[in-house]
Amino acid sequence: MSGHSEESARLALMGKWATWVLLAAGAVLVVLEFVIHRHGEIAAEDIPLFPAVYAFVICVAIVVGGIWLRKIAMRDEDYYDDE
Amino acid sequence: MMSDILTSMPTSMPPGFVMMLAALPVIFVPHHLRQIFMLAVIGMSAWSLTAGAGDHWVVGLMGLELVLYRADHLSLPFAIVFHIAAALNVFYGWHEKRVTDHAAGIAYAGAAIAALHAGDLLTLFIWWEATAVTSVFLILASGTQRARHAAMRYLIVQVLSGVLLLSGAAMIYSETGSMTFTAMELGSLATWLVFIAFGFKAAFPLLNGWLQDAYPEATVVGTVVLSAFTTKLAIYALARGFAGTDLLIVIGCLMTAFPVFFAVIENDMRRVLAYSLNNQLGFMVVAIGIGTELAINGAVAHAFAHIIYKGLLFMSMGAVLYRVGTIKASELGGLYRCMPWTTVFCIVGAMSISAFPLFSGFAAKSLIMSALGYKGLVAAYLVLLAASAGVLHHSGIKIPYFAFFGHDGGHKVKEAPFGMLVAMGLASALCIGIGSFPALFYQLLPYSIDYNPYDASHVVGQLQLLIFSILAFTFLMTFKFYPPELRSTVLNTDWLYRRVAPAIGRPILSAIMVVWGSVIAAIAGYRDAILEAVERLMHAPITGPTVPGRAVMVQTLVLIVILAIGYLVAG
Repeated sequence: MSGHSEESARLALMGKWATWVLLAAGAVLVVLEFVIHRHGEIAAEDIPLFPAVYAFVICVAIVVGGIWLRKIAMRDEDYYDDE
Repeated sequence: MMSDILTSMPTSMPPGFVMMLAALPVIFVPHHLRQIFMLAVIGMSAWSLTAGAGDHWVVGLMGLELVLYRADHLSLPFAIVFHIAAALNVFYGWHEKRVTDHAAGIAYAGAAIAALHAGDLLTLFIWWEATAVTSVFLILASGTQRARHAAMRYLIVQVLSGVLLLSGAAMIYSETGSMTFTAMELGSLATWLVFIAFGFKAAFPLLNGWLQDAYPEATVVGTVVLSAFTTKLAIYALARGFAGTDLLIVIGCLMTAFPVFFAVIENDMRRVLAYSLNNQLGFMVVAIGIGTELAINGAVAHAFAHIIYKGLLFMSMGAVLYRVGTIKASELGGLYRCMPWTTVFCIVGAMSISAFPLFSGFAAKSLIMSALGYKGLVAAYLVLLAASAGVLHHSGIKIPYFAFFGHDGGHKVKEAPFGMLVAMGLASALCIGIGSFPALFYQLLPYSIDYNPYDASHVVGQLQLLIFSILAFTFLMTFKFYPPELRSTVLNTDWLYRRVAPAIGRPILSAIMVVWGSVIAAIAGYRDAILEAVERLMHAPITGPTVPGRAVMVQTLVLIVILAIGYLVAG
């Protein structure tokens, strides 16, 4: 059992590290946004940090949509087992 | 005589034929030798692609001209990647001793390759149905009751698609006198039938239930094999038949958007990938709808790259299922230590599908996004941008995170078999190769283009999209907003024919049976009454003040009338 919790602790630590690396990468990208002249395929994309904000909002919206979908479309695992 | 049958002499057998023919001997060749034999056969089939562009096999049949081998700039890239996928699948299934997977797999790939080279709609129909009939064994081979039912539903939908295609083809032939498979315009019933037939196999919205229903029920090797061919054959067919059809842009947008929500809450990881496959098809369908040279290149490039990275993702999940015995996200986690190579390969697949720069998805998807931008299709562009974030979310993060990291599932298993690792390694190399050398990759595409996806602006924009999507995931996980993986069934469009149709259909059928029963009973009643009357007449001759001859005459008359009525009714 101790191996199990040791493994869980290791995973948690990895998660923490990954989060910091991601935050750092995000920070670098924010800086880059104002260093290079970025332009997109459509006009809206030229708004500073548009891809970053859009992606973040969309990802949260997808999860909210998923939670909502669960309410209407989720059934027991054996729902179709009577076939 | 032969010259009557073959109006043009073949340079070699049409691609794919030899693979279908090999399915029988494959059964008798011993393990290991079988895999080598299959690779040789795939090589032979690929060799026949060297015949180059043109109509190479034209066969006369009952007054019809069947073009069995037509090659051009559109069929070639699909043919190349279908052969690559078939070969990778042989490596992936090297450990598998059950012969069904191999025989069905090679026949199925062969049928799909043959379909790519069909120059007319009847030939297309034949191989269209052949892909259905051969691939169903990959699902049946699972051997469970659940898989058998899913296989039958899969077969019904696939055959229905074929029947629609044949009906449309017959109507086109009667309208135009030609069966040539070429660009069509939606307008007549005939072309709509063909369009819907393609739509079933391309998993259009509402016609998609079979995909998520059946693919995850196939065997470990079977799902990988299935993921490559059927849907991309449909993409090829749409690109040839309906490029530039505006409706496809709307359909494609819906296809990219909806499966994302399902993928987020689905617990079966192979089903998550089946939803993700549907979403990826949406990108290709949108590109076909745009129809410009850049867009068609984008659709073909995306199909090419997708077959490899999606196959790779299915391979990694297949390896997990093979070793752990389950593929439910709720039971998995922490496998990175036991299966480090599989983890790395899965991450390569995840980064490719998410379109990280230097990975294949980036080289392919950029073409589609640019084609949308050039056309000024802003709404569709924003939907596909959102869907790109969604892809990253469910395929890029969810798949590797919940299988290999996440919480510790407590599984102590071995790394995937060597053959699986070879297949995943080769697929990974292709993903990185395509992403790193896009100019070489673009040379395979139907139209020559001068396009460079790697400008600083584009790369930074894409990285923003990706990194902030992952940050959103991290944020949601950290603050416990992310829905936990639950053992569950999520209703999809197959629910319509598994639950709704029977719920409505059964009472209607029973009502019809009741009415039918009473009609039959009434007819039987009348029949008995008539027979009884005749019987009475025959056995109780008219008595009284008559001569017996009269009774005989009346009986004869009645019999004549009955016989006459009987004759009329029977006539």
